[in-house]
Amino acid sequence: MSSSPTLAVARLAELVGEGHVITEPTELAGYEVDGLQPAAVARPGTAEAVAEVVRFAAAEKLAVMATGGRTKLRIGAPPRGYDLALDVSRMNRVLAYDPGDLTLGVEAGIRFADLDRVLAEKGQFLPLSPAFADQATVGGIVATNSSTPLRHAYGSTRDYMLGMEFVTGEGNPVKSGGRVVKNVTGYDLHKLMIGALGTLGVITRVNFRTFPLPHAQGTFLASCESAAAALALCRAIARSPLQPRLVEVVEPQAAQILSGGRATLPAGCWSVVVAAAGEPGVVERHGAELARMAQGTHAGAFAGLADKEESALLGCIREFPKHVMEFCPAATIFRISVLPTQMELLLEHARQVAERSQFTWAALVRASGIVFVALLPTAAAPLDGETLRRLAQAATELIRASSVPEIGGRPMIEWCPLELKREVNVWGPVRDDLALMQRLKKVFDPQDIFSPGRFVGGI
Amino acid sequence: MATSDKKLIRELEQILGKQGVLYQPQDLMLYEYDGSVEHARPDYVVFPRSTRDVVEIVRLANRYQVPMVGRGAGTGLSGGALARQGGIVLVFSRMNRILELDLENQRAVVQPGVVNLDLTRAVEHAGLYFAPDPSSQKSCTIGGNVAENAGGPHTLAYGVTANHVTGLELVLPEGDVIRVGGKTVEAPGYDLPGLLVGSEGTLAIITEITVKLSRLPEAVKTLLGVYDSVDDATETVVEITARGITPAACEMLDGWTLRAVEDYVHAGFPRDSAAVLLLEVEGLREAVEVHAAEISDVGVIPRTKLPATLRRIDEIGKSFGFQVGNIFHAGDGNLHPIILFDQRDLEQFARAVATANEIMKFCLEMGGALTGEHGVGMEKNELMPLMFTPADLDLMQRVRGAFNPSGLLNPGKLFPFGKGCGEIRVRPMPVSANAPGVSA
Ligand SMILES: Cc1cc2nc3c(=O)[nH]c(=O)nc-3n(C[C@H](O)[C@H](O)[C@H](O)COP(=O)(O)OP(=O)(O)OC[C@H]3O[C@@H](n4cnc5c(N)ncnc54)[C@H](O)[C@@H]3O)c2cc1C
Repeated sequence: MSSSPTLAVARLAELVGEGHVITEPTELAGYEVDGLQPAAVARPGTAEAVAEVVRFAAAEKLAVMATGGRTKLRIGAPPRGYDLALDVSRMNRVLAYDPGDLTLGVEAGIRFADLDRVLAEKGQFLPLSPAFADQATVGGIVATNSSTPLRHAYGSTRDYMLGMEFVTGEGNPVKSGGRVVKNVTGYDLHKLMIGALGTLGVITRVNFRTFPLPHAQGTFLASCESAAAALALCRAIARSPLQPRLVEVVEPQAAQILSGGRATLPAGCWSVVVAAAGEPGVVERHGAELARMAQGTHAGAFAGLADKEESALLGCIREFPKHVMEFCPAATIFRISVLPTQMELLLEHARQVAERSQFTWAALVRASGIVFVALLPTAAAPLDGETLRRLAQAATELIRASSVPEIGGRPMIEWCPLELKREVNVWGPVRDDLALMQRLKKVFDPQDIFSPGRFVGGI
Repeated sequence: MATSDKKLIRELEQILGKQGVLYQPQDLMLYEYDGSVEHARPDYVVFPRSTRDVVEIVRLANRYQVPMVGRGAGTGLSGGALARQGGIVLVFSRMNRILELDLENQRAVVQPGVVNLDLTRAVEHAGLYFAPDPSSQKSCTIGGNVAENAGGPHTLAYGVTANHVTGLELVLPEGDVIRVGGKTVEAPGYDLPGLLVGSEGTLAIITEITVKLSRLPEAVKTLLGVYDSVDDATETVVEITARGITPAACEMLDGWTLRAVEDYVHAGFPRDSAAVLLLEVEGLREAVEVHAAEISDVGVIPRTKLPATLRRIDEIGKSFGFQVGNIFHAGDGNLHPIILFDQRDLEQFARAVATANEIMKFCLEMGGALTGEHGVGMEKNELMPLMFTPADLDLMQRVRGAFNPSGLLNPGKLFPFGKGCGEIRVRPMPVSANAPGVSA
């Protein structure tokens, strides 16, 4: 922090209020990012206070990281600096909610679980469904572009986010987009904030379009002998008129891990999980057609799940990274965006890489186009030199294998031990659009105070 | 009009051949307007055939320091494709090839000049289609859709163009070719396709587009609701939404508009009704049947701001002495008030613009947006400060500067110029070309 830490802390207290600045070492430990702890945490209660803190930080050239539920601070490259955590979790209000118009505006620090309850009271929901759903806040979910199984039916965050308010690196509060469902006025700057890991601004408000809860839901499960059979089934579903809410494939090792987390999945199989929703007739129709499709592809028949099994399984799928890291603290989880026809080849590469490097591996496939692959070193953290060398080698190979033209995947490492981040670029290969991204970073945060170094290409 | 430069013409012809360059006044006239009420004549019109051509044109424009503007079919409703400060208009009608159809992965890679409906026609045999469906889809281009983030009647269920674009090839205003996004659903890094879609041709020239293809629904049912008042119609929409039904399309025509339509196409609308609702439900048979039945027995319960908004728009029109017709995408609250006036009468024209501005201000006060799908362009740029603060606009302008530092690409659009609306340049229209009516 600046030359006079006490002065700085006093100034922060003026800006955010007495009692909302943290300097206690034990509490600061909870804000650690990749081995670095901030000198202080400021917990502003309003967007104006956020702007003031940022202006102060810019003047003092402090490296700032915005935090919410602190469930995803491990994502990204290790920061170059970290002086101040800007914790927005006090900003947790619903600012506007018009169920009739299907529109919602919330402060960034609201917890997803709390918001979900507010919406459910009006028979609505948001398709975010993030990992660490209990603690995760809306701002953090957006900033990490947290993946949701409901993407299958509802698309990604950018498809139902209407607008945003955020504070730039110069401390200017700005807005982009709007509060209405249709709006093409001005540049959609808010879309840049999705998955930007807080490198462009501090999100203070997000506006969404909401969706009515379906009248009925049903989840169906088929077990397949191979990845090929499971993926063939997914492609058959994609060609059919069915409109499932989610289609996921759980690889056998992943099934075993999730079974530890209360899901009941058959052992040793590639499980295809399909959830249908809507009118009761629609759910029934899914059940009947899926059963017929399974016959055609030699997969085990689809069976419908009872309510309790269903919510346990869907919860476990949503919390996949959490369960994997509980099972194996040193787990290295890749998030690879890939076209459906290339998934089988990608999984085969993953299997070979794991075999060569002698790691157990697990995978979860989001049939709409994302494959999660986890390498599971059994060694305890911090990893010993030999294990780290093997892991780095395997990670490099998997990133290369998934990016080759025949596969055309876009890989990143979402979760991994800190030691690995020093050996491998977690963001995957650099592309020719990096120069544009760097120019945008300069526009939003000219002094490079937001999350320096955590993003793609050292941004 | 600026004078054309013979040397520049010769250099353009070297790239594109004589058939690829227009500069005679009678040829340029065809490109001085689009679907809006604005006019601006370019100095050169060129027809690139490839990304390579575009790069060379862009380099020339930089060397000669002349503005450049992309143009698809010219159906835009905000003057986006007009050369407001003269210069080169790049027309994409010769870059109209579908480069790749990947039916299994539901992707298409197209050049910007491909006409929206042509893409659907090329894939419907496989049960697929391109979802964004602006009413102009028989003529507008996918490049224009991307620039304006076009929507259509089915936006309610399937989203605007942005929701269907995964990758772009760009030629930056200084001539660099860059790819953003790709065929996959996401990529690490900032969402550059998300920024580019809807940027109204002010950040980069788009030379290739990768889009998602959607699966045609198994069943479609269209319903017509007839109402004695506009309020009843709009309140029905609110009630349908409240029941958790999302129609695929939900269009409302007020009495005046439906009579105009009826006179023209004889669609069978009841002439004596005050409003009609056209609703479409689609999806699986089981869902369509239930939703159609439920919509048919919806009661009327007043709730949101939509009915009040329509009443106020009518009042504003009357206070300026105009009849305002309304047709709109009711499901997502996207209004298209239509002010009827004679464009040859300059006084009337100015009054129509004032009416439109008044309506816009009112909609913004109600928490709405300036434009739901047609873009800001040079028609609503002066109204931007009503919706955005100086800090908002400053950031947007600096983003523009990051892509388009010289400002040569599509100048005078999107951002306020500092001129009053009354100063919009109007040229009297020749009588034969007169088309009364403008959409605000
Ligand atoms: C009768 C009618 C009905 C309409 N209905 C709808 C509707 O329902 N929904 C809707 O959203 N719109 C509608 N529109 C508006 C218009 O059709 C859309 O905005 C359409 O997307 C414009 O496409 P275009 O090819 O005509 O583009 P143009 O008008 O030629 O250009 C529009 C903008 O795109 C830019 N541009 C074009 N090509 C490129 C490129 N390759 N690279 C960079 N910039 C480029 C231009 O510079 C300009 O700013 C309607 C228009 C009419 C006349």
